[in-house]
Amino acid sequence: MKMFNPRTMYVVAKKEFLDHIRNKWVIVLTFLFALIIVIFSYTVGSGETFGNMQNTVLGLLTITSFLIPIIAIILGFSTISGEAESGALNVVLSYPAKRIEVLLGKLLGLGSVIIVSVFIGFGVGGVVIALTVGPESWAGYITFIFLTIFLGFIYLSLAICISAFCKRRITSIGGGILVFCWGIIYGTIITAIFFATGGTFDDLTTGNLPEWFYNSVVFSPGDLHQTAVQRAFGVNVIDAAGYSFKIPEFLSLSNLLIVHIIWLIVPLVLAYIFFKKRDI
Amino acid sequence: MVSKTIICPSCKTQMTVQGNPGEKILVTCPNCKKKGYFIIPSPKPISDSISIEINNLTKIYKDIKAVDNVSFNVYNGEIFGFLGPNGAGKTTTIKSMLGLIHVNTGTIKINGFDMKKDSIEVKEKIGFIPEKVSFYDNLTPFQTLSFFCELKGVDKSVIPSLIKEVGLEDAMNRKVGTFSKGMVQLLGIAQAMIGNPSIYILDEPTVGLDARWVRFIRQKIKMLNEQGATVVFSSHILSEVETLCNRVAIINNGKLIAEDTVANLNKYLHIKPRIEISIDKLDGKVPKLIEKIDGVYSADAKGNTLFVTCDSQVRSRVIAALGKSGFKVVNIKTIEPSLEDAFVKLIEGDT
Repeated sequence: MKMFNPRTMYVVAKKEFLDHIRNKWVIVLTFLFALIIVIFSYTVGSGETFGNMQNTVLGLLTITSFLIPIIAIILGFSTISGEAESGALNVVLSYPAKRIEVLLGKLLGLGSVIIVSVFIGFGVGGVVIALTVGPESWAGYITFIFLTIFLGFIYLSLAICISAFCKRRITSIGGGILVFCWGIIYGTIITAIFFATGGTFDDLTTGNLPEWFYNSVVFSPGDLHQTAVQRAFGVNVIDAAGYSFKIPEFLSLSNLLIVHIIWLIVPLVLAYIFFKKRDI
Repeated sequence: MVSKTIICPSCKTQMTVQGNPGEKILVTCPNCKKKGYFIIPSPKPISDSISIEINNLTKIYKDIKAVDNVSFNVYNGEIFGFLGPNGAGKTTTIKSMLGLIHVNTGTIKINGFDMKKDSIEVKEKIGFIPEKVSFYDNLTPFQTLSFFCELKGVDKSVIPSLIKEVGLEDAMNRKVGTFSKGMVQLLGIAQAMIGNPSIYILDEPTVGLDARWVRFIRQKIKMLNEQGATVVFSSHILSEVETLCNRVAIINNGKLIAEDTVANLNKYLHIKPRIEISIDKLDGKVPKLIEKIDGVYSADAKGNTLFVTCDSQVRSRVIAALGKSGFKVVNIKTIEPSLEDAFVKLIEGDT
């Protein structure tokens, strides 16, 4: 017996894509995303702030690691709990479809919405950058797009996991907010731990930091994404806001990609366990 | 009790007659006043082959037994009513039949296939409407049905006829999110009909709908059954089950307390028919002779109407006794015991 039927997965993915590509919040955020990138790229191109593709992309990182998780969480937070509550999932699972097929179909379908959203944003931004900055570091830009999509899938996987775990839509909303906030407060938590364990402000500004401080990025998908993009552009030392950080060797692009994959797979496996056990 | 629409042979007026299969009913045309007898036809014979076999089904939520050791069979080609008050365990049983709920113990076989082991094969033969029907707000009915056709591997060319069959042609290009509850329910019926399933499982399909949609859905259920499908139909509306179903199962507090035809349930529970006799100049008095007849359980009079609860076979003796006593009988109406009577008696006995 086959573990799953790819056709059923494709059918579910297609439905998810058609239904959510018209989600008004996704449309608004995609538009906002594209607009911010265009404005940012134009500013960069005119030479007022930065001067090249690398700086443009590194500048865009903050925007992407903020907006992409929001889009992914909006798409995925209630995909199981909400549909179970409304009754739509009852109908789907009364058809010859396995839960694993429905779960993976949802990931792929909602992920396709993220891909479209990212392509619209970066596509428009890319054209403006090409016209203003010039065609340098395109490989880095493409890697940046790929890693951004990956970030979207990680947050989608987390959101689906929450949705499979929570019984009700309303609790899924809370879970979604919690996941989003984790990305925001994580840096503060790590810094607090650093000070609590004897770290000083001087250490922080001079980059005299313990190994664990750097490696802690693996526990935050947003920080992980930013570090991976910096690595993709060959950046080894980050100079930001007066601080200077040297990215340790352990955080190589390949290692960071492995951690990305772990962040994608683990929540998805948990989502399947919760979904399989769930009474619909 | 079944309802039949008949046409007066003289003036062609349409009228509805109610009675049990095989019962001979005196009918008076409301238009031309012509009288005549109508025999309620017996339902088509139900197959001996089992369509759904439920054995020792138990589902426990924390400490509550939502379904407690329930067993019953549904035969090919019947409309099987699954009846019970709210929270009795109807939806849990139905969801278990579809593998939506993980049961603690028990087996479910559909068309001979085990639901746990062969769920894909089983689900290919089933059409289901849940108690709360909901689809995808941003999709049109066509896109919604396309999705379900693809899930079942059915050619999408059936969609226009399905949409037409449930009367949603005018809403073909509207988003489902703009639909009324009734329209969503109709789309639910169209969805359930994809691939001409041999079994329909309908969980309270008329709940919360206005009379127009209720009537439409009941007609559809009858039509699907006439086309050969087995229908399992849960409801807490007794008249609905009584009108539609060949057999019923009654569940209360998670336990199955009865499974039979409505007529048999009434028979076992000793629920008697009631005769309403219109008598000229009765004046609210019960003739003493009536109460003395063996097989008469009660007799009451209100104005010129006499109400007698008795065994079916003593009905003619009651009429004859009235004639002997010099009363002129104007009209006789038999009220057969209803499912409601059986249901109330069973539930009262169970609690």
